Amino acid sequence: MSIRLNPNPLPSLLLDIQQSEQNANIATQQVSSGRQVNQLSDNPDAAAAVVLNHNQTGQDDQYLQNISTLQPRLQVADSSLSDVVTALTRALSLGTEGANGTLNAGDRQSVAAEVQGIQTQLVSLANATYQGTYLFGGTAVGSQPFTLNSATGAVTYNGDTDVTSVQISTGNSIQTNVPGSQLFQNASGSVFGAIQDLITGLQTNTNIGAAVTEVQNALTTVDTQRVTYDNSLNQLTSSEDFLNQDKVDLSTQENALIGADLATASSDLVQAQTAEQATLNAAGRVLSLPNLLTYLPPP
Amino acid sequence: MGSLSASLTIVTQSLQAEQTAIQTTSNNIANVNTPGYSRQVANFDDNPPVQIGSLTLGAGVQISQVTSLRDSVLDLRVNQETQQQGSLNAFISGGQQIQSLFNETSGSGLQAPLTAFFNSLSQLSANPSDSNTRQGVLTAAQNLATAFNQTSTNLSNIQRGENLSVTQSVSQINTLTSQIAAVNAQVAAATGGGQNPGPFIDQRQQLINQLSNLVDISSIDAGNGSLTLTTSSGAPLVVSGQSFQLTAQANPTTGVQDVYSQGTDITSKITGGELAGQIQIRDQQIPSTLSSLDSLASSLANSVNTQNQQGFDLNGNAGGNIFVPPPANGVGAAQSLAVAITNPNLIAASGGPAPGSSGDNTNANALLNIQNQAIVNGQTPINAYSGVVFQIGSAVSTAQSNQQAGGLVLQQLQNLQQGVSGVDINEESANLIRFQSAYQASAQIAGIIDQLLQTTINMVPVP
Repeated sequence: MSIRLNPNPLPSLLLDIQQSEQNANIATQQVSSGRQVNQLSDNPDAAAAVVLNHNQTGQDDQYLQNISTLQPRLQVADSSLSDVVTALTRALSLGTEGANGTLNAGDRQSVAAEVQGIQTQLVSLANATYQGTYLFGGTAVGSQPFTLNSATGAVTYNGDTDVTSVQISTGNSIQTNVPGSQLFQNASGSVFGAIQDLITGLQTNTNIGAAVTEVQNALTTVDTQRVTYDNSLNQLTSSEDFLNQDKVDLSTQENALIGADLATASSDLVQAQTAEQATLNAAGRVLSLPNLLTYLPPP
Repeated sequence: MGSLSASLTIVTQSLQAEQTAIQTTSNNIANVNTPGYSRQVANFDDNPPVQIGSLTLGAGVQISQVTSLRDSVLDLRVNQETQQQGSLNAFISGGQQIQSLFNETSGSGLQAPLTAFFNSLSQLSANPSDSNTRQGVLTAAQNLATAFNQTSTNLSNIQRGENLSVTQSVSQINTLTSQIAAVNAQVAAATGGGQNPGPFIDQRQQLINQLSNLVDISSIDAGNGSLTLTTSSGAPLVVSGQSFQLTAQANPTTGVQDVYSQGTDITSKITGGELAGQIQIRDQQIPSTLSSLDSLASSLANSVNTQNQQGFDLNGNAGGNIFVPPPANGVGAAQSLAVAITNPNLIAASGGPAPGSSGDNTNANALLNIQNQAIVNGQTPINAYSGVVFQIGSAVSTAQSNQQAGGLVLQQLQNLQQGVSGVDINEESANLIRFQSAYQASAQIAGIIDQLLQTTINMVPVP
């Protein structure tokens, strides 16, 4: 004799129906949320990994924001230095003109006056600002770094010699300033020293040639120092490219971790719905089976 | 030599026996949907034969007893699986509440405010003199503190809920054990009186099954049909007709309700049933998660404060605390995390050893770098948090797999149990027809005997 079966399949059938309803619900949730992992327990590994993924994405966004803050500031600094180079080149040609001895005293004075104009322009360039902060005062961004004593023609540096660096991607920082003292009063070629010497030289007709050499050195120095800004700007651009690519990669990774493949999820949904209908159908048939009493003749 | 009157007696007994069998069948059909009912069978026994001269003659039939069909080993297994299911269900229910606080896949949790806080420092590094950027750091710090506070409060609320559930479970257990004790006495009385204790055993099994859903139990047959129930660690619940109440008493240290049996704290010894799951959530999972959060919050606050003190604020003064210093042992740090300053100028973006200018971001960079330092038990803050998320998800996930596997076992066991004890309408119908035929046949025999008696009487001439 065989093992007696459970004569009341209803509780089992209800469990089966619940299970298939649950499967259909999970599939629906996956399709509607677009996520395979909707709770930590769905996939704890993926949920933990997605914390790191979202953190990295957030950092990348911040780095991109830093880049967009830094880029115009560095561009303003760079273009100010480009103007400095132009002004120095003009001073150089004026100095060369004054040094060749063909000018009379009056002409020399007017050349000297023109160089004085260049000096004012250079001071103003050295005091360049971006959004209210001075670009060439080291970290002393709140006060004007260079002052010109109009009586003596001497230029004083009020800033400091600190450089700042800012992270623009994980573990990658750029230098965001060159102190004004290093740019304009560098020992290997001081802009303001050279200009002052040139003015004095032109005014007194002494040592003009030496002053021209100083201006030449200053020009070379500014050009050399300016490379820092160019490098930083280049790094910003390449970092921006890297970050945008990294965000794409992170988004792909996030999708792989917790995203639902819509094609699979949709076919899962259809499958779950079919299975649910099949279960209900089967349950309906089992429950409506006639029993022995149906076939007994009426008494 | 047989006699007609003996036949008549046999017929009478037969009719009575069939009636009893029909009544048993009716009762089975009536109880087809009664939970916990075990089908009953009327046992037919032929009466001891009578010896008349050289003949041994059958003496009819009687119903010796009506028995309930059940398999006590299956009952036991069902109870055991029910205990596991109860425990896992309660754990999953609490665990799902906990994991919803950390649902990082939908972006709710501590990752966003944590990342935002360090991002605000990154922004500060790019623009240390800007007052809006400085204010942004304070706002992000405040948001982070609020997120820690809320998560911690929510965890404590879930813990309080579980604590209430523990008290309720204890009171349900007490109600059930006193009911079981009463039924236990009835089983013993019925067994002692030679009656069928089946219906009482059904009732008792039904109650024990409900009890199994609440707490782990071990049952010992005490003889005479009576059962002794204890928790699996041996705390008495029911001994014959007497029940032993569990009590919930507030623990003065932790503030939660501990479970006592006969003056002994058995809280940590409960291994099954909803009570076990509730205690596991309340006394292990939540404290462990809270402690991880406390450790994260206090390490973060301490590191940020220490680093801020290394630098100089916008006024040129040495930096102070950004966060209110957490408790020294870290306990409750997540709950109490708060921002100590309201003036954004007090953030020490400038590095030392002497006060730097407003554009100095050396210390801002150092503050930012805390995110890469292993300050939380050898892990970076975000990795430590990711670990918390994994632990919770993994605990719930494991419980869910076990619950599913156990659920299938339980379903199978219940099928087997119903296979033994369940009422089958078809079977009962077939039996009914058998008993009906037998009854009709016996009634016919009575008629025939009556005719024979008439014939015998008519043999005697009328005087």
